[in-house]
Amino acid sequence: MSEMRTIKDMPVNDMFVSGHGACAGCGMAVAVKNIMRILGADTTVYVPASCLVVISAMYPTSNFRTPYLFTAFENTGAVTTGIRAAQRRRGLSSTVVGLAGDGGTFDIGLQALSGAAERNEDILYVCLDNEGYMNTGIQRSGATPFGAWTTTTPVGTKVEGKREFKKDIMAIIAAHDPPYAASLSIAHFNDFIKKVEKAKAKKGFRFLHVMTPCVPGWRSDPSMTVEIARMAVETGMWTLYEIEDGEARTTYKPQTMLPVTDYLKLQGRFRHMENGDVAKLQEWLCAKWYLHYGNDMEQPVCATFEKMKRVRHPHEEQLHFI
Amino acid sequence: MYEVRFHGRGGQGAVMAAQALAEAAVIEGRHAQAFPYFGAERRGAPVMAFARIDDRKISIKSQVYEPDLLVVLDESLLDIEPVARGLKKDGKAVINTRKLPTEIDLGVEVECATVPATSIAMEFLKAPIVNTAILGAVVRMCDLVSMESMQQAIANRFGEKFGETAAKANAAAAAAAHAQAAIGRCKGRRPLAQKKEWLPAWNEIPIGTTLDERIVDGVTVGPGGARQNLTGSWRVQTPRYDKEKCVRCQRCWFSCPEGCIKREEDEYVRWDLNYCKGCGICAQVCPVKAIDMIKGGSR
Ligand SMILES: Cc1ncc(C[n+]2csc(CCOP(=O)(O)OP(=O)(O)O)c2C)c(N)n1
Ligand code: SF4
Ligand code: SF4
Ligand code: SF4
Ligand SMILES: [Mg+2]
Repeated sequence: MSEMRTIKDMPVNDMFVSGHGACAGCGMAVAVKNIMRILGADTTVYVPASCLVVISAMYPTSNFRTPYLFTAFENTGAVTTGIRAAQRRRGLSSTVVGLAGDGGTFDIGLQALSGAAERNEDILYVCLDNEGYMNTGIQRSGATPFGAWTTTTPVGTKVEGKREFKKDIMAIIAAHDPPYAASLSIAHFNDFIKKVEKAKAKKGFRFLHVMTPCVPGWRSDPSMTVEIARMAVETGMWTLYEIEDGEARTTYKPQTMLPVTDYLKLQGRFRHMENGDVAKLQEWLCAKWYLHYGNDMEQPVCATFEKMKRVRHPHEEQLHFI
Repeated sequence: MYEVRFHGRGGQGAVMAAQALAEAAVIEGRHAQAFPYFGAERRGAPVMAFARIDDRKISIKSQVYEPDLLVVLDESLLDIEPVARGLKKDGKAVINTRKLPTEIDLGVEVECATVPATSIAMEFLKAPIVNTAILGAVVRMCDLVSMESMQQAIANRFGEKFGETAAKANAAAAAAAHAQAAIGRCKGRRPLAQKKEWLPAWNEIPIGTTLDERIVDGVTVGPGGARQNLTGSWRVQTPRYDKEKCVRCQRCWFSCPEGCIKREEDEYVRWDLNYCKGCGICAQVCPVKAIDMIKGGSR
């Protein structure tokens, strides 16, 4: 197989065709379209209940030119396991991919996911993370960031958006010691392509975590979808790395950390945030930044915070980035 | 029973308008219902909402197929969908447009009110949210509910969600639309296409887990069959490409959510506007500004 390094090396054939019902500017559609271009025709797709199933599978049509299955919300790990088992039984082999939302991954699908990862099933699990239950009208999930407005973390006098920080799903996956896990951004094209290609080529359980900005859920301008994904990386709200056979490696490191407000101001879901909450989020981000990128380089935006007092989980040693 | 069908685009508030109309009827002691069309389409896509009003309890739960009144929140829909399909011969229509009723071709010749609801909304609400303004014209067109009940319903609906000031502004927009609506008869020349649908019964479904791609009764079904859904009709702005400037980086190709940018052999790009929703991402990601967005959906 030829190695894909840039966009120009990508196949031009669309396996996820035009004519889907996603909102104009949907980041999830950008991710799915490109993942499917790279995975190619020899792929079997499973999608649980989520925006993706609704926008791409109005019976009797679909946007996937590959076999495509859909069952219940919590089943991605289990159903992809079953598809692969059936293939083995019949002497077939194609890439089996599960394309699940963050709700279907971080929350309700977590046990099936953990089971599949622990058994090292030969499947590719993709989490399309739009940081909320968008298909059902924007409810919070374990992936929703601190401070964000959703319909279940409303902004009022008592609460002002979500009070909890985003769950670190990649650390949970890493604890299963899979052959491959990586975080992706639709704004880092070449990095995106290489990771999907790597995940396709490997055997065993593979996990890809993609940030997919959502226009109505994030209250953002449709044209800014890719720019928001880019700013997430520059501010540390998203980090790009991969874990290959137990070794973690940063694949892109921003020059200097931009203040989180540069990211927040692009989205209506953070508009209400006051200085206290912004500082709280910034402090959390600084700890995350130093953990990922090392703390030899002092970041000006983090100068006011004490460096990481929190107790390190023993497993984080394995996730040590250099 | 009086049946109403609203046509708008996702995000324009067609459902809220249907609910306010139903609430106005309830205020007058009548029975009413309002509900949206549950489709898969999202923001910007053509959507429908329905309302029914009667003096007796309403037990029917289906969509409205033969409306007495048609309310069109977005004039551009007339060119992309047979919105007047099923409209009764003695039915009525209310359309958001700057044109006069006689300048509108609905496909069915009926009594019609036209109202520049978008500019009224811009004036009173500082945003193109046309759903309250158009309700003023609905009251003017048919004596379904009184203006007092309608304004009360709007205040209830919008006040609950957005506060008292917003409720007042919305009620004022409705009053302005009531005054500015033009009444006349529209034209019925354009043909109204029959909707193609294939919904198999259980025993018509081929055995096996997946259907292959095939054509049944003129409808493409199976994997990839969603291609027949031409989402370009959602577009309100259109990308314009300056090939001279293009450095063939393919970023726009990668970033377009619709897959409607095509890569040519020579690495220049080409658009299939049948699917472009006008999101503007391609223009935003282009490193040399070879793409800009121009107003309007067609080109
Ligand atoms: C067991 C179960 N609970 C609830 C639902 C309703 N439901 C369908 S999709 C969805 C949200 C999906 O959220 P996520 O996985 O993040 O995907 P997104 O829509 O955001 O892409 C919910 C709650 C369901 N289908 N099944
Ligand atoms: S709600 Fe969000 S994730 Fe769902 S289709 Fe719209 S933009 Fe995409
Ligand atoms: S505006 Fe550009 S990115 Fe958006 S759908 Fe159209 S071609 Fe694609
Ligand atoms: S992003 Fe701009 S320069 Fe790059 S291929 Fe598209 S139009 Fe050309
Ligand atoms: Mg989600």
